[in-house]
Amino acid sequence: MINVKDLHKSFGHNEILKGISTHVAEKEVVVVIGPSGSGKSTFLRCLNGLETATSGEIEIAGMTLTDPKTNIHMLRQHVGMVFQQFNLFKHLTILENVTIGPRKVKKVTPAEADKVARELLAKVGLVGKEASYPDELSGGQQQRVAIARSLAMGPNVMLFDEPTSALDPEMVGEVLQVMKTLAVEGMTMVVVTHEMGFAREVGHRVIFMDDGLIVEEGAPKALFSDPQVDRTKSFLAKIL
Amino acid sequence: MDPIWQNLPVLLDGLRLTIQYSIVAIILMVVIGLVAALMRLSAVAPLRWIATAYVEIFRSTPLLVQLFFIVLGLPAILPVNQWFGQLTYPILAAALTLSLNEGAYVTEIIRAGILGVDRGQKEAAQSIAMNGFQTMRYIVLPQAFKRMIPPLVNQAAQTIKDTSLLAPVGIAELVYKGEIVIAETFASFAIWGLIAALYFVLIFSVSKFSSYMERRLQVDKR
Ligand SMILES: Nc1ncnc2c1ncn2[C@@H]1O[C@H](COP(=O)(O)OP(=O)(O)OP(=O)(O)O)[C@@H](O)[C@H]1O
Ligand SMILES: [Mg+2]
Repeated sequence: MINVKDLHKSFGHNEILKGISTHVAEKEVVVVIGPSGSGKSTFLRCLNGLETATSGEIEIAGMTLTDPKTNIHMLRQHVGMVFQQFNLFKHLTILENVTIGPRKVKKVTPAEADKVARELLAKVGLVGKEASYPDELSGGQQQRVAIARSLAMGPNVMLFDEPTSALDPEMVGEVLQVMKTLAVEGMTMVVVTHEMGFAREVGHRVIFMDDGLIVEEGAPKALFSDPQVDRTKSFLAKIL
Repeated sequence: MDPIWQNLPVLLDGLRLTIQYSIVAIILMVVIGLVAALMRLSAVAPLRWIATAYVEIFRSTPLLVQLFFIVLGLPAILPVNQWFGQLTYPILAAALTLSLNEGAYVTEIIRAGILGVDRGQKEAAQSIAMNGFQTMRYIVLPQAFKRMIPPLVNQAAQTIKDTSLLAPVGIAELVYKGEIVIAETFASFAIWGLIAALYFVLIFSVSKFSSYMERRLQVDKR
């Protein structure tokens, strides 16, 4: 589903990604961990073209993102993204947040977009909030709307960048639950998170990144209980 | 009393013209300002340069000089009066110069409004596959617009006041008509007082109306 070959990304002279290569299979849930500043967000943002790779190749859902001839907007319809700060459209209601993509981008009829949006809002447990505005919702609720907004585009892959880091502790569970449901349903997911419980329970593979490189990767159980590289060991010692 | 009452129709006719020029200039300044602001934020360097040059030139010279230059100066080297008509050219040129001048300020208002919208909003729009136009039209501009209303209303009030500078280049509006009436009646104090009052009523109602609209917008949509 996702194929990354020798991905480099620099901001000016500052090289942030120093050659990332990995493959994500269909229906696979990959959890990315690593210290702050190691390039996790940059990596994820490269995967939907929010950042342009300096060199290397990214292939997603059969399209080559790094090929300048590829229509980035076509590709993004297949790649959903959920942000740490939710980034709901503040001037739109919850329902409009979910319908605007399908309506304006995919030219779906309003009635059809409404129907799909209501189903998705039900799925993330937000029936009755359709007419509210984002700032009337709790962080956990907003993040669930953000997930519904992405799903409304019918993506093949979902990217999550620390989706629970900005949440009060009591709201983390409700968002992880929605993500877990998605994973069980077979969504291909790349998740940057510090929630090791989620990684262990839902993740098929964990990637440990440090200083712009993949240091170590493997099945969650194996990586957490028996890391091979010193840097992985010291990072895990700090967070587990 | 007499000079005022007898000449009130003339002054009201001037007020009508002032309102007409104001409406035209306010509409045009927003259109020009929007285009120039988008050019200033464009990824295409020459577009940015053109828009920046436009803003700087119009903001760094007096409106009155701009009006003299374009309305009265240009016909001295170009047969614009023949192209557009002896009577039409000054009106056209004056309205356009005024709009361009105000548009330079509106450009900065709109640009600041767009830049004030959280970057995450744009990224979220991109992540649901919106293109640049859709992102601007449905996500960024609606949010920017709300914060732009107060400075835009300010600028509209300024534009109404600035229409009075059309009189010196020979365009008939409220001040121009007032000068004619004063030349006939010598009622300088009364007529200038009345003109000031007319401007006050006009501008005061514009700003009252817009703060009413602003409140309604805030209730309907946050
Ligand atoms: N647009 C940018 N311009 C310049 N530098 C950037 C930009 N985006 C990120 N960086 C730099 O790249 C480095 C990696 O950032 P990134 O956000 O990818 O790290 P991260 O692993 O996601 O960290 P965190 O856990 O804190 O979110 C940081 O040093 C950051 O300052
Ligand atoms: Mg990050």
